[in-house]
Amino acid sequence: MYAWKCWRESRARFIFLLTLYGASALLVTLLPGFHAQGGWWHFDRSEYTRDPAPLVQQVSAVVLSGLGMCGFLAALFLGATASGSEIEPGTIEYLWTRPRPRSSLTWTHWGISLAEMVIVAVVPTYLAAAVLGTLTGTWNLQLLLVAPWMMVIVGLPILGLTTLMTALRRSASGALIYTVAVISVYVIVRQLVTVPLHLNVPPLFAGPVIWLVHNIQLSPSAFPWGSFWRALFLAAAFPLAAQYLLKRAEV
Amino acid sequence: MSEAAIFTEGLSKSFGAQTAVAELSLRIQTGAVYGFLGRNGAGKTTTMRILLGLLRPTKGSARVLGLDPTRETELMRILERVAFVSQRKQLYGWATPAELVHMNRPYFPRWSDEAAARLAQRLEIPMKTAFKKLSIGNQSKVALLLALAQEAEVLILDEPTAGLDPVMVDEILRTLIEDHISQGRTIFVSSHQMSEVEQICDWVGILEEGRLLLESRLEEIRQEFRLVIAAGEGLQVASSPDVVSATSDGRFRRYVVAREAERFAAELRGQGAAILEVSRLSLRELFVHLVRKEDPCTPGNAGAKAAPVSSFS
Repeated sequence: MYAWKCWRESRARFIFLLTLYGASALLVTLLPGFHAQGGWWHFDRSEYTRDPAPLVQQVSAVVLSGLGMCGFLAALFLGATASGSEIEPGTIEYLWTRPRPRSSLTWTHWGISLAEMVIVAVVPTYLAAAVLGTLTGTWNLQLLLVAPWMMVIVGLPILGLTTLMTALRRSASGALIYTVAVISVYVIVRQLVTVPLHLNVPPLFAGPVIWLVHNIQLSPSAFPWGSFWRALFLAAAFPLAAQYLLKRAEV
Repeated sequence: MSEAAIFTEGLSKSFGAQTAVAELSLRIQTGAVYGFLGRNGAGKTTTMRILLGLLRPTKGSARVLGLDPTRETELMRILERVAFVSQRKQLYGWATPAELVHMNRPYFPRWSDEAAARLAQRLEIPMKTAFKKLSIGNQSKVALLLALAQEAEVLILDEPTAGLDPVMVDEILRTLIEDHISQGRTIFVSSHQMSEVEQICDWVGILEEGRLLLESRLEEIRQEFRLVIAAGEGLQVASSPDVVSATSDGRFRRYVVAREAERFAAELRGQGAAILEVSRLSLRELFVHLVRKEDPCTPGNAGAKAAPVSSFS
């Protein structure tokens, strides 16, 4: 029941993001087949069958770059919406007088946000893969099949951070602003330190997506396991910290 | 002695330097209807929030149905058996009352759909309109419906009728009497509407600056409490422990006496005072006399703030 309530509150943003990414993925996939002829757009499927391998690689790379931020943005917006709206003064008093542990409420929010984030990442990418595979007759689409899961892994710490900021700021908009601020400060400080000193510091948790973008052949030997584990650690640590704060919060 | 539905002992809550509740000891028996009165900021809402686990006490302890609200597992058991109407009555704006009923049902083992339907009809609640589009009065009614349909053992109501018209107030009071008080449920209600409290409560507690000034059966207040107005110079304050409040206004002294008012008046006469009035007190009058900031007639302390009852006893 509470999960339904979380879904009910976040569904508008979820549908917006899904539609946006779905339409973008479809557009990018179908674009090579469209040609202007006599003032009209015509779709030519032979573009896909003439030399499918480079086209698949090219379209996959464009889809990947277009949807690269998908996990990040979905985590940011869905995370803040789900738990933030509850923390605003008023309804939290109602919610915390229902006989449910606060931790279960926090994790229900988190779970719904995660499920929506996975759908937003997977559905548009797999839609692009399905269309591309059908048009080219080639199903060598590992890049597209792996991509959404890398986006989800990188999105998880952001989702956690948004959940934590919601607990700290006690508002949805506050959580959104502070999450963006924390990430921005981190990126700026990192650049200020690493660039002048020519330091090669591995990404904190965005490694899997960077690996994907720079290794279209998906070489497993170069997979950034350190970044991957840090992403999982932060993904768990942030919501646990949020749970700790909310458990002790007074309203 | 039967177990108290609500029990606090030396309960205190401070927010920084500000004390909201100070050494509050309450014992509300099962089946009692207890009116918790006080001015704005007296500490009523803070006390209720502590009982519901929304705030943690700084000092002292609280028990609801014998359970400790500061322990999560016990708090869950309290919340299953206690219904709460908050002062703010803020619910999800997008949800209709029907959806809110649907969302609340699984939380409470004793939830009654029949009661919810009956209340919706009786209180004339538009069940298909989004909560945010309802008037403040209708929003209050929805909050009450959700609490009353829980069929809870204890109702904690924080100004439940605020924003309602007199017809609806009457309807809600009748609902409380017919469906809850008659079944022996405990009600702990804060209100500024003394007439409502007089209508349904059998006990009252008056809180001021976080301290309990007075706790008494309402019947006892009606039968025993008197206002004694005397005129005279150099009158002694409360030689009697029955004086719960004493204030001065020029030559006049006003005493609220809990019992044996005639004997107290005779004492004053003995001091040379002229007794102008010995009259019964309504709850409203008693409340005003107790919490109004006037000059107390404490000897040698003229002009100081009114002291709590304990100073006189």
